[in-house]
Amino acid sequence: MIDPVTLEVIRNTLPAIANEMAADLQRTSYNMMIYEVCDFCTALTDMQGRLISQNVGGVSHFVADLGVIIEDVVAREGVDGFSHEDVFITNHQRVAGQHLNNIVIYMPILHRNKLVGFAMTRAHWIDIGGASTGLGASPLVSDPWFEGLQLDQLRIYEAGKLNKTLYAVIRDNIRYPESSMGDLRAQIAACRLGVRRLIELYDRYGADVVEESVTTIYRESETRCRKVVASIPDGVYEAESWYDDDSVTPNDPIRIHARVTVAGSDMTIDLSGCASQRRGGVNSRTLAAARVAYKALTEPSAAVNEGSFFALKTIIPEGKVMMAQFPAPMGGWSLIVPTVVDTIFKALAGAAPHLIPAAHHGLLGGSIVFIGKDPRTNANFVLQSLEGGGWGGRPHGDGESASVSVCQGNVKNSPIESMEIKTPVVVEERSLRTDSGGPGQYRGGLGIDVRVRNLVEGKWNMARPRRRKCPPWGLRGGGQGGGAEYFLKLAETQDFESVDQVMRPVPADSQVIIRTGAGGGWGDPMERDPQLVLDDVRSGFVSLEGALRDYGVAIDPGMRAVDISATQAARAARRRVAAE
Amino acid sequence: MLFVAVDIGGTFTDLVAFDQANQRLYSAKRLTTPDHLVDGILNCVNASGLALTEATQLIHGSTVAINTLIERKGARTALLVTKGTRDVYAIGRGNRPDAYNLFFTRPKPLAPRAAIYEIDERLLAGGVVRTPLDPADIEAAAKQIAAEGYEAVAVCFLHSYANVAHEEQASAILRRALGSRYVTASHEIMREYREYERISTTAVNAYIGPKVSGYVGSLEGSLRDSGFRGELSIMQSNGGVMSPEIAAKRPVMMMESGPVGGIIACAQVASALGHSNSISFDMGGTTAKASLVRDGMPAMAEGYYVGGYESGDPVMIPVVDVIEVGTGGGSIAWLDEVGALKVGPRSAGSSPGPICYGLGGEQPTITDANVVLGRLDPTTFLGGEMKLDLDAARRGIDEKIAKPLGLSMDAAARAIIDIAIAKMSLAVRQVSVEKGYDPRDFALVASGGAGPLHAVAIARELNIPTVVIPWFPSHFSALGMLLADERHDAVRTFPAPLDTLDFKALAGAVAELEGDLRSMARQAGAQIEIFLDLRYVGQEFNLSIPVTPQQIAAQDRVGIRAAFDELHQARYEHNAENEPVEMINLRLIARAPRAKPSMPTPGGSSAPARKRDAIMHAGPATSCDVYERDALAAGALIHGPALIQEYGSTTVVFPGDRCEVAATGELVIHLAK
Repeated sequence: MIDPVTLEVIRNTLPAIANEMAADLQRTSYNMMIYEVCDFCTALTDMQGRLISQNVGGVSHFVADLGVIIEDVVAREGVDGFSHEDVFITNHQRVAGQHLNNIVIYMPILHRNKLVGFAMTRAHWIDIGGASTGLGASPLVSDPWFEGLQLDQLRIYEAGKLNKTLYAVIRDNIRYPESSMGDLRAQIAACRLGVRRLIELYDRYGADVVEESVTTIYRESETRCRKVVASIPDGVYEAESWYDDDSVTPNDPIRIHARVTVAGSDMTIDLSGCASQRRGGVNSRTLAAARVAYKALTEPSAAVNEGSFFALKTIIPEGKVMMAQFPAPMGGWSLIVPTVVDTIFKALAGAAPHLIPAAHHGLLGGSIVFIGKDPRTNANFVLQSLEGGGWGGRPHGDGESASVSVCQGNVKNSPIESMEIKTPVVVEERSLRTDSGGPGQYRGGLGIDVRVRNLVEGKWNMARPRRRKCPPWGLRGGGQGGGAEYFLKLAETQDFESVDQVMRPVPADSQVIIRTGAGGGWGDPMERDPQLVLDDVRSGFVSLEGALRDYGVAIDPGMRAVDISATQAARAARRRVAAE
Repeated sequence: MLFVAVDIGGTFTDLVAFDQANQRLYSAKRLTTPDHLVDGILNCVNASGLALTEATQLIHGSTVAINTLIERKGARTALLVTKGTRDVYAIGRGNRPDAYNLFFTRPKPLAPRAAIYEIDERLLAGGVVRTPLDPADIEAAAKQIAAEGYEAVAVCFLHSYANVAHEEQASAILRRALGSRYVTASHEIMREYREYERISTTAVNAYIGPKVSGYVGSLEGSLRDSGFRGELSIMQSNGGVMSPEIAAKRPVMMMESGPVGGIIACAQVASALGHSNSISFDMGGTTAKASLVRDGMPAMAEGYYVGGYESGDPVMIPVVDVIEVGTGGGSIAWLDEVGALKVGPRSAGSSPGPICYGLGGEQPTITDANVVLGRLDPTTFLGGEMKLDLDAARRGIDEKIAKPLGLSMDAAARAIIDIAIAKMSLAVRQVSVEKGYDPRDFALVASGGAGPLHAVAIARELNIPTVVIPWFPSHFSALGMLLADERHDAVRTFPAPLDTLDFKALAGAVAELEGDLRSMARQAGAQIEIFLDLRYVGQEFNLSIPVTPQQIAAQDRVGIRAAFDELHQARYEHNAENEPVEMINLRLIARAPRAKPSMPTPGGSSAPARKRDAIMHAGPATSCDVYERDALAAGALIHGPALIQEYGSTTVVFPGDRCEVAATGELVIHLAK
């Protein structure tokens, strides 16, 4: 039995170590996928790969996904096969199951020469050679060799000694070596910090106390999760949705299906009904969708550890799109994940209505990617930003606007000033999009338009988001949210045109609009308080026409007041139509 | 030379003064007078027996800025922004720090969308004009702003950190057209890139501007009317002081002006006692605040969000790191809809105040619970100047809490305290354990009127071995203000590769900022510290590297570069000596030291003055020794249970704990293992 104060200190120190590793990595990384987009995670695992702690605030779909890599390496090397200051690098899809840009760096932690765990980081390098999927080329990629450099559990440092050959091979086969070799240094430094901090804890309290505390912490997390699940009525709940296609095979929608079984405090999320693996790069090997959904429902504010998922069973058969077999292409591995998470929520919307909002935009950002060469400096540049979209209306209020997806937590857009300091572009506007939010008693949040002018020639990535056939849905009578899209206006043309093209070359002075999706509405829009509709009209979130069309609320053109009798008539007519 | 510091909190106004001639410290405490805050100050001055006419310096900190913002009681504010950026304030950075919370809330802009005016002007990065400002557009906006009745206007244009011309022109037109309305432009507060955070900071400044500048103005007027002829200074969040004129223009700098004094004092007092690691715990009437001091230096916040990171207002100013919870002496105990006992965050404040004040309060508070438990003496509160109504406090707790819960009155009072202790322990935990610091390695320095009453229980909860009760715990922030230097910060985004950095242009920028700072500083001869924010090309975050004017004059690229590599190595354990380095910001700090008071040496005895019954733990009341702090001698040793009373505060020493009076007069409590 551990004394409660020691337990409390260890309980809070373990996530603090992971967070300190994350802060270090984020502050010293060289690419915005890490420092702004937070496309990384840092973690401590035990020697079996069970998650001791993970940083808070990074991308959620990295939740507890490193264990398989440790299971694999321990099986290969044996528990006695590791030395102090070994540093491993891996991104191989056979086990890691994500796009090759996600480079995992980890170090074994030896306490008194006995392996006790691993300090790990996974981070999105800006480029990994091949077709440059990290910058949005994933739809073009048909296999892992085309995608880039494959590194299969290699020691970049062996007992502290750099493997110069491996280092040179990596450096010479990627496009932005100064950036990625900087990230490599930052990842290794973060791992060293994690190793040192965990050893300090072991030295201070002893292995037995630390390990018993970790077991206790797992059990506590499990218990808290079980309590929430037990409050959901037992049953089998299902929902379905669609992702347009895999970008390679047109008109072949990807089915997403979730079957959620609640039995007492146990939950099973069965994704067997999802599509089989595809020719295009939407494949992955990931439990992320089920885990993100479960975490959000059970213990959204608590630090994550392996115990957070003890009471969750996830079923994904081999050969399915989220359990694809090597060498399936995985360049766009995470694109469908937010939609899968929303589909799991949708399944539970009837059973646990108070926990579930309507669908959010469901996309990993309105992704701004423009690459070129800056004539002022003659250096290659990459413009990147991820823009948020609308979230669904809630059981008790409107959805938030312009926020990143359920998988992206603390991911930030890039400030306009920062983009313009670093790259030759002008951001002409970043604005909320009127009438985009799904109508409902509680309105969906708004999507946004970002309009960017490139001052020099270059290539824009404008791969259209694949949610046109299944836009963000409403719940309980709420309407769907507006969709996402790219528009291009070349320098010499007059109008913007919708575009679906990867790495489209454009001349200087062209403009692109990056449009993000919006949230679905919650509840019947005819039940929305007309005063709130008037407020929305005054703020420009809803147009005068939209107020009448979507909410049956008549407002005078001066936006002074709701016309009550006209509103009653409009709503009554709408209800009659609905009843018929 | 007579130095006076006055700190206005939600409940009390505190005064500490130091007379250099006779080396004496003075103190006083009076209820805060929310409708006319200056009255509380004058009441304190009168109570202290000091002659305001003699004071050479008066330093003032106040919660007026932060309360105006948090309570959303500021001015109706309009905002002028660059065309295309109307929604930047609402969109923010798009992030959801609370990653798994499906019902997260984003920060809410202080200016609604209808109050944000887009102006067709545009600068490019570096400050080159792309679209010139048309004064007619500003005139038109001013007309609308006047017609809509907005009380304050904020101006924040893209890239104004590099070229202030458009903001200067716009704010000049607005000031002319709008007369007395409060106008603020972003470059007047800070010239740093990142438009969302700068818009928010500027909007906050405008939103609180009319109220805070009016307050500072009327304070100065009233003080002059009362014969004050010395210099008035206002405490800033950075731990330094500024003039009232600057405070009126940059009220946002006052945001944490109350608590910061206590942290400065905590660092100095604890270090002097040999505790270079300490936690400041400050419990006043409405909130409790915790902050960490490590190696004698207060931890600074790495980004400051008023109201919390998840959904608070970002403010780009240097500020000490403080965690605050809504638990103070005046926090109200109440039963929620299912009958669960809650304490705070609603506070009875000073008006009507706790029931026992007898000023019309009807809701039982933490202070009432302490009176009922016998820990606070109703006859000696504030040195006996304010009699507390014990019977009324008992009746209130009995009716509102004990009876509905089926508890004895004593048990109900204890439950109120226990819940408060648990909440406040979380705040202390947040600055220590959650950042990886073991509280067993720290001393807890308790301040605020209610701090010494609760500090030992919190220390026990977190296994903190030592609690320090400083001199004047209930005036601790004010004491810290006496210890503060004058300080001003300036920043300018100045992107340039270090290899090709134009040192002449840099020297020009330094001279410009130095001029700004010297114009703000009233003491001639302020020391200027220069920092360059540097990073490896491709990085986003930076490190501030101190440089000297000589290094700039000598174009010392090598030395500056080496200092950066070295700090990067020390801080992050790796560096890249072959990678290019770039500069992103220039920062200047102007510091002017001030005379510091010395602590009086305690004389007196070690005998208890009397005995009183108080409830310590579960069970009946115990007979406690009661000491008068002013009478305690250095080296005195007190064994709990004991109560140590002083003006404005009471320290509770529990059975088994040991309290020692330090040579310099602080109470040092060693907790029983």
